[in-house]
Amino acid sequence: MQELRTGLVELLPRLRRFARVLTRDAHDADDLVQTAIERALAHAGQLRADAPLAGWMFGIVRHAWIDEQRARGRRGRLFAVAESGEEVADPSHGAPLETLAVQDAVARLPEEQRLAVALVLVEGLSYKEAAHIMEVPIGTLTSRLARAREALQAMLGERGGA
Amino acid sequence: MTFSDETLNAYVDGELDAATRAMLEAAMATDPRLAERIARQRALRERVRDAFAPSLTEPVPERLLASVRGAPAATRAGNVIPFEVRPRPRWSWPQWGAIAASLIVGMLLGPLLRPSAPQAPLETSGGRVLASGTLARALSQQLASAQPRSAPVAIGVSFRARSGGYCRTFVLHETHSLAGLACREGPAWVVMALAQSEARGSGGGYTQAGSTLPPAVSRTLDELIAGEPLDAAGEAAARAHGWNP
Repeated sequence: MQELRTGLVELLPRLRRFARVLTRDAHDADDLVQTAIERALAHAGQLRADAPLAGWMFGIVRHAWIDEQRARGRRGRLFAVAESGEEVADPSHGAPLETLAVQDAVARLPEEQRLAVALVLVEGLSYKEAAHIMEVPIGTLTSRLARAREALQAMLGERGGA
Repeated sequence: MTFSDETLNAYVDGELDAATRAMLEAAMATDPRLAERIARQRALRERVRDAFAPSLTEPVPERLLASVRGAPAATRAGNVIPFEVRPRPRWSWPQWGAIAASLIVGMLLGPLLRPSAPQAPLETSGGRVLASGTLARALSQQLASAQPRSAPVAIGVSFRARSGGYCRTFVLHETHSLAGLACREGPAWVVMALAQSEARGSGGGYTQAGSTLPPAVSRTLDELIAGEPLDAAGEAAARAHGWNP
């Protein structure tokens, strides 16, 4: 258990980053990470000794996010604002325009594409690991990635000024 | 030889098998357009990674470290009543309130709670702490933009929470000097945070209550608020609608 806690502390910055790409909101992201940590500690026995902690935790974060969205849907809080792409991930204070533009473009991707981007492009996981976390075949992952890249290229163009 | 976008992506993502990679690299050497397509994909991957890299170096909030430890966070600092001993994710207000209630009851807030005193400003209900008496009246009726200096309760800022409902900060004067934050839920005002505040009269204007709130209360405000606090017109409009979102 102590080993798990140590691993989680080391992983926290990446979990927060992953959750931000997923939720597009810094506060929601931290709430999500907290929920995921509590679930992980409650189900520590399910972590196989040979499984990477990061992959296990990304999966828990993803499931917690799905649950949270369902709960919000039940409460009638649909993501009208966020889905329309008006809301940037985080009002990153003084972040360079380039950073904001890319974060905003990622935030506008459909959820399944955003998840693929978060796992492969941001977290640098292999296709196999990412597909496992997303619970889809590798072919599904790569086609989502391809569509996401096309959309991002269209939104961002070449790296320009700014 | 032509290569699909997915093959190029796989190359950029380090997922291509050795044989295909060798073919692709050989083709790149003689095909500038292919080399350019790959450069574009590589640049995109770097841009996305770089855009989210800064969050890795941000300090991790104490509440997350505390939840990893699985132990109550040591937030009992100074004169702050430890409402946040074990903060829950913001979307589970009811549990949060229950924890708060268990901390308050029987502690120094005991005398403030009904039924021991009919005019008590707080009461517990369903494991939560609700405003009652003068506090409930002030939260429902009093406008920060027009409140008498002698009022027993000073209203600070009013705002919409990220959950959609209205919340207001307040300072209880009279015998107790407590500052807090309450959110409207149905007909009730649920107290989300409470802490001892500075003695009244030092800074003057009540409308500045937001800037002089104890840290525990202003932290809760920061966590809950969506956008900016209401201005005088927004506050009056919200009151006119009975604080229903």
